[in-house]
Amino acid sequence: MTTPARSTTRRTITALWTLAVPALVIAGTLAWTSTVRGRLPEPAAVHWGSAGPDRAGGFGELVTIALVLVAVISFAMWALATFLGQAAMTRRLAHAVAAWFAVFMAGVTTTTVAVQLDMADWTEAGNPTTGMVISLAIATTLAAVAAIATPGDAPSPTLVPVPADAARLDLAASESAVWVRSVRQSSPWLLVGSVLVSAVVLALATRNVLLTASFTVLLTVPLLTLTSWVVRVDRSGLTAASRLGWPRQTVPLDEVESATARQVKPLSEFGGWGLRTALDGTTGVVLRKGEGVEVQRTGGRRFVVTVDDAESAAALLNTLADRAR
Amino acid sequence: MLFRIDPTAAEPIFAQLASQVRAQVTLGTLEPGTRLPAARELAASLDVNVHTVLRAYQDLRDEGLVELRRGRGAVVTERAGADFAPLRAAIEAVAAESARLSLSPDTAAALVRESLQRAHHTRRTP
Repeated sequence: MTTPARSTTRRTITALWTLAVPALVIAGTLAWTSTVRGRLPEPAAVHWGSAGPDRAGGFGELVTIALVLVAVISFAMWALATFLGQAAMTRRLAHAVAAWFAVFMAGVTTTTVAVQLDMADWTEAGNPTTGMVISLAIATTLAAVAAIATPGDAPSPTLVPVPADAARLDLAASESAVWVRSVRQSSPWLLVGSVLVSAVVLALATRNVLLTASFTVLLTVPLLTLTSWVVRVDRSGLTAASRLGWPRQTVPLDEVESATARQVKPLSEFGGWGLRTALDGTTGVVLRKGEGVEVQRTGGRRFVVTVDDAESAAALLNTLADRAR
Repeated sequence: MLFRIDPTAAEPIFAQLASQVRAQVTLGTLEPGTRLPAARELAASLDVNVHTVLRAYQDLRDEGLVELRRGRGAVVTERAGADFAPLRAAIEAVAAESARLSLSPDTAAALVRESLQRAHHTRRTP
C-alpha cells in the first residue's frame, strides 16, 4: 500500500515535471516572442521546405499553436502519471515526454522567430536547422534528466502468502533453481525498415544532413534497446533486461503477489510494442504477440513481459515467492 | 531454460548442470544457436561458484554440445542438434508404441534400460 505522504510526494514531483516545467517554458517563450513581435515581418514565415521558407502566416500560427500543443501534451502526461502511474516506469516515461516536448517546441518556436527578426519580407527568413538540432539536443538531455530524477518505487514487501491455486514448480527445499529465456522483437527488420524510410523522407524533405542524422540517431537508440531482451526468474525475483543491460525492469520476490502465464495482445492491450503502459496502469515489456508472464505486484502494480515458456517462469516465480515469505 | 540444482545431492553440482543441458539438447528444447546464460550470471542466480558453472560448460564443450566463444558465452552447436535428431525420433517412436500397447512408463523405461545395458555390454566385450 502507498502511504498518503508518499503519494503526495509522488504527485508533487509529477506536477513539477509535467506542469511547472512546461508552464515555465511556455511563459518564457511567450514573453520573449511578444517583446520581439514588432520586429517580425507581416505576415511571417511559418513553414520551411527544402528551398527555404515556403508558407506565410500570422503570429498565432508561428507561436500560439505550438504553445497550445505543449499545454495539451503536458496535461495528458500529467494525467497519465497521476492516475496510471503506480509503477515508476510510467512516471519516468510521462515526465520525460512532457519535458522533451515542451523544450523542443519552445526551441523550434524561438528559432523560427529568431531567423526572421528585422527582415522586410517573410521570404528572406533564414534557415532554422541549426537551432532545431540544438533544441533537439537540449530537449533530449532534459528528458533524460527528468527520467533519472524521478524517484523509483519505494520497497513495499508483502507477507501475504501466494494464493494456493497459483501454479507452482515441484522444487525440493534443498534445491535452488533459475529460469532464463531470451525474447526477440518479432520483426526486427520492420524496425530497421521504418528507421531507414523515416531517414530518407526526412533527408528529402529537409535536405539537411545534420538534422536527418540527429533525428535518426534519436530514433534508433531506443529502438535498439527494444530488439532483444533476457528474462530471468531466480532468487532475486523476476528481471527483464535489454541485451544491452538497459533498460531493465525488476520485480523482487517479496513484492510478488502472484504470477500467471497468459496470452498478450500488444495492439489492443498496450497500443503497440516496446516499453508500455496500458490504460489500467499495467506496465509491460511487449516485444511480440502471444505468450507472456503477468505479475501482480504490491502497491496495485501489474507487470507483463512477453516470453516463451511463460508457464515455467510463472510457476518458478510463485514457488520462490513462497520461500521469501 | 530451467536449471535446478540440489547442493545436498550426491552428484556434483557441475554434473547436475551439465546433465540438464544435455537432456534439453537431446529433447530439442534447446535449439542449436541458443545462448546459455553467462557463467557469472548463472552462478549468481544459483548461489554457486562461477568455476562450477564453467566446469559444466567445459564438459559440454568437450562433448561437442556447446561452443565457448569469448564474449558471447556458451552457444549450443549445430552438430548437437543434428546428432540427436535420430535419437529423438527413436525415443518418440518408443513413447508412441508404448502408449499404443498401454505399457506403463515404468515398464517402458525398464525395457529401454535393459536394452541400453545390453548394448553397452556388447560394446565393451566385442
